[in-house]
Amino acid sequence: MVLLDAYLPSDFLPVVVQFGLAIGFVIVTMLVTHSIGPKNRGKVKDQQWECGIESVGDARAPISVKYFLVAILFVLFDVEIIFMYPWAVNFKQLGWVGFVEMIIFMGILLGGFYYIIRKGVLNWD
Amino acid sequence: MPFSNEEILGFVQTTIGEGLVHSSEPFDFLTVEVKPESLLHLVGSLKNHPQYQFTFMTDLCGVHLPEQKGKELGAVYLFHSWTTNTRIRVKTFAPIENPSIPSMTAHFNSANWMERETYDFYGINFTGHPNLVRILNVDDMDYFPMRKEYPLEDQVRRDKVDSMFGR
Amino acid sequence: MIDTNQPAPPGLEGPGFFATSMDKVVGLARKNSLWPLPFATSCCGIEFMATAASHYDIARFGSERPSFSPRQADLLMVMGTIAKKMGPVLRMTYEQMAEPRWVIAVGACASSGGIFDTYSVLQGIDRIIPVDVYVPGCPPRPEQIIEGLLKIQELAANETTRRRDTEEYKALLESYSIS
Repeated sequence: MVLLDAYLPSDFLPVVVQFGLAIGFVIVTMLVTHSIGPKNRGKVKDQQWECGIESVGDARAPISVKYFLVAILFVLFDVEIIFMYPWAVNFKQLGWVGFVEMIIFMGILLGGFYYIIRKGVLNWD
Repeated sequence: MPFSNEEILGFVQTTIGEGLVHSSEPFDFLTVEVKPESLLHLVGSLKNHPQYQFTFMTDLCGVHLPEQKGKELGAVYLFHSWTTNTRIRVKTFAPIENPSIPSMTAHFNSANWMERETYDFYGINFTGHPNLVRILNVDDMDYFPMRKEYPLEDQVRRDKVDSMFGR
Repeated sequence: MIDTNQPAPPGLEGPGFFATSMDKVVGLARKNSLWPLPFATSCCGIEFMATAASHYDIARFGSERPSFSPRQADLLMVMGTIAKKMGPVLRMTYEQMAEPRWVIAVGACASSGGIFDTYSVLQGIDRIIPVDVYVPGCPPRPEQIIEGLLKIQELAANETTRRRDTEEYKALLESYSIS
């Protein structure tokens, strides 16, 4: 007996077609407008806009690493929190064994957190 | 309480002696005209004097008087004492062929841009100025606009009707 | 006088649609969305601020988004005295605008130097960039600035779609030595 409520891979073909059409529309539009559109370039026109004066140098400047560290630590601990969601749902089923496993998991990450604090990574200045 | 003009004038005479060319009191405002060589010494003494304390330079501007031969271009300085409320005006003049006046940036930092403006418009060369270039006019201007021989108006115009402008 | 209740351009009309030539449609779109670049230097700039504020709103004519970058602006509004030292700045601003672009000289100083006929003031911005509409006044009232804007709208509505490719436009830029 065939399971009528199971999805065959070929049933997902329309999704692929839709995705392809969306990407294709974007690419075609961008390429076609660039190729058939007018181009009036000029030496001064193509220069950087610096409020009407000659621009000096480029805009590259080193930025402080503290921004990156804060972001990456957020991602790390956010993923830890994400792992707690399924634990919360299946709390009763996992019982004592699951509880101890989760405590070990959080303990490892807390150790890392303690290291970060002592290293002064979260110091903004 | 302001010191009297006679007292300040006496101090100026003892400080620079021969350097004082002329003094007057238009509207009770002590005005001394000094030679450019004694300018810095006088201003330093006035600024560092324990009682007078002329520590504020109110203004620095230029003047062109073509009638005074040999002393056409001049700089006028106004000094003020906050603590004693005394004012003095110091003038120096230099010949127009080679106008050269010592720079006041030694005593007052605010003189920097003011001397640049005076140079820009009158052509007075302030010796000892760190960066004496034009400040308000276009950099490649080759004349000094506020001298009396140059007309105020733009000479390139062709469309102005003279009768309507009183000419 | 500008007719603010102008009829639609000639075209085929029906329930729910209106068909006309491409030029007219593009002209309508351009004229009702002129984004200004307020190059405000003096008193006329203050009058422009009044014009752009809620009482004499220019946003109701489509000039909703004033841009201080020429890349996204259609209309360069020069308002105020332009000194000779400011000339190259104004010229570079105009040159870096993308076509289609229009210039409106607001006030006497931008049109002709105004009362400042001196060594330092540029006697009219049309010495360095091509100007489409001049709004005289010292300063002009907001109603006059709006009329200037409406005249630019007339120009924008009746311009060909690709004026930038015409010989006349290229000759105009050549006469100002704009590459």
